[in-house]
Amino acid sequence: MTKDFEPTIVAFLCKWCSSAGSDLAGVSRMKYPPNVIPITVMCSGSVSPLYIFNAFQKGADGVLVSGCHPGDCHYIKGNFYARRRIALVKELLDFIGLESERFKMSWVSAAEGTKYTEIIKDFVKELKPLGPQKKLRRDQ
Amino acid sequence: MVEMEQLQKEAKEILKQGKVKFVIGYSKGSQNLTATPVFIKKPEHTSRLIWDPTCVQNLVKFIVDDKQKQSREKKPDERPVGIVVKGCDSRAINVLIQEKFIDRDDVYILGLSCEELGVVDEKKIAQKLEGKKIEKIEFAKKNNLIVSTKDGEKKIPVKDVLADRCLECKAHFPVIYDQLFGEETEREVKEPYKSIKKTESQSPKKRWDFWKEQLEKCIRCYACRSICPMCYCDECVADSINMAVTAETTAEEKAQKIKWIERSPALSENIGYHLIRAIHLAGRCIDCGECERACPVDIPLRLLNKKLEKAAHELFDYDVGFDHKKPSLISSFKDEDPEDFIR
Ligand code: SF4
Ligand code: SF4
Ligand code: FES
Repeated sequence: MTKDFEPTIVAFLCKWCSSAGSDLAGVSRMKYPPNVIPITVMCSGSVSPLYIFNAFQKGADGVLVSGCHPGDCHYIKGNFYARRRIALVKELLDFIGLESERFKMSWVSAAEGTKYTEIIKDFVKELKPLGPQKKLRRDQ
Repeated sequence: MVEMEQLQKEAKEILKQGKVKFVIGYSKGSQNLTATPVFIKKPEHTSRLIWDPTCVQNLVKFIVDDKQKQSREKKPDERPVGIVVKGCDSRAINVLIQEKFIDRDDVYILGLSCEELGVVDEKKIAQKLEGKKIEKIEFAKKNNLIVSTKDGEKKIPVKDVLADRCLECKAHFPVIYDQLFGEETEREVKEPYKSIKKTESQSPKKRWDFWKEQLEKCIRCYACRSICPMCYCDECVADSINMAVTAETTAEEKAQKIKWIERSPALSENIGYHLIRAIHLAGRCIDCGECERACPVDIPLRLLNKKLEKAAHELFDYDVGFDHKKPSLISSFKDEDPEDFIR
């Protein structure tokens, strides 16, 4: 069963870097697993912890938050705030026993199409053996 | 030692001078059990004020209530509220000032030092009595409690029934006050995060089993939110029918309120609620333990908040409620904040 399991990843990508990075991967025709549902947000700093919890509730097997490298945020400080907030969310999810592999953060610039594909490839590889995420999932 | 008479005298004085509109403090519990909150408006009633280890409540919630009430009044009495606080409670005031919910001048703080003690945990007392019903609790000399049941009196040292949070307390005397009663005695806290140690050391699976069992019990009465001095929002994002409705609110706005969490007390929704609450209290919860005390189904809510208190301390060198002039935990950052978890 777990062999055929294809995880669903919800990725919150900031418009100015990470989303552009994923676009670059696309237009350059780089190959990477189709398991991602990308959601463009204005800035990694605008990702509320609610979005993350809700993604898991709606059945995401993994969640990624990705923004510009420190110093590159379009809104100057957004990703610094995000870094703190996400660290706390991570601690909390860990503490209630969600596998820590399921939640990730990354810095992907508009030029890093390759890095983006690597991140997704590795994420999928890590999620597969874990099987579906059922802990936070809402019963339909 | 805190002299009760001094506290009463000071309260009387400020009421007489009209410095405060009323004093919120503790008085003898009506059932002869733990202390009960009291609002004193007349100087001649100040003899009702008490202070002992049964003063468990965090009275700062009443400041929040008063502030909210004021905002609805046409001609509010703008004099400060006198309030009796312990160390933990004083930090709640600091957070409220830091977040500009209240001004420093809104409160006249009568601070009490817990010195070598703290407050009792009613559950620990009950354990000592093996199910016998308590008829009366009295605080006696030498830091003992005299607890009466139908089988007679039993002497229990306060130290044996102190609340866990007091054993882990980093500030057992007020960090902000107008008048201080008692000494700012030093005391060593060996393990400030002892209560979460066990859970932390377990495997993710064990941790999950634990929280699943706990949070399944939640009936979403929202008592934890109602009693928390930090939960002062007019509208709660975790509760879809909790909405601040004014004359200007349109039907459309009401209909379109986002429903992040379903109202049913199903496990997934309970977890959602508690995750949101914990995150919204990160860097704000001062560990007064009221949420846990109010919970009718005994969920160890403190642990969630304690975990984030620890994270704030260890990752960001941030301790809650010690300085209201500092920016709050999540409205600030440092260049050197850890990012080893980011790829
Ligand atoms: S007080 Fe307890 S039962 Fe009520 S909502 Fe809070 S955790 Fe749930
Ligand atoms: S979350 Fe609980 S312990 Fe923390 S401030 Fe609110 S009521 Fe007190
Ligand atoms: S715009 Fe990319 S992180 Fe802020």
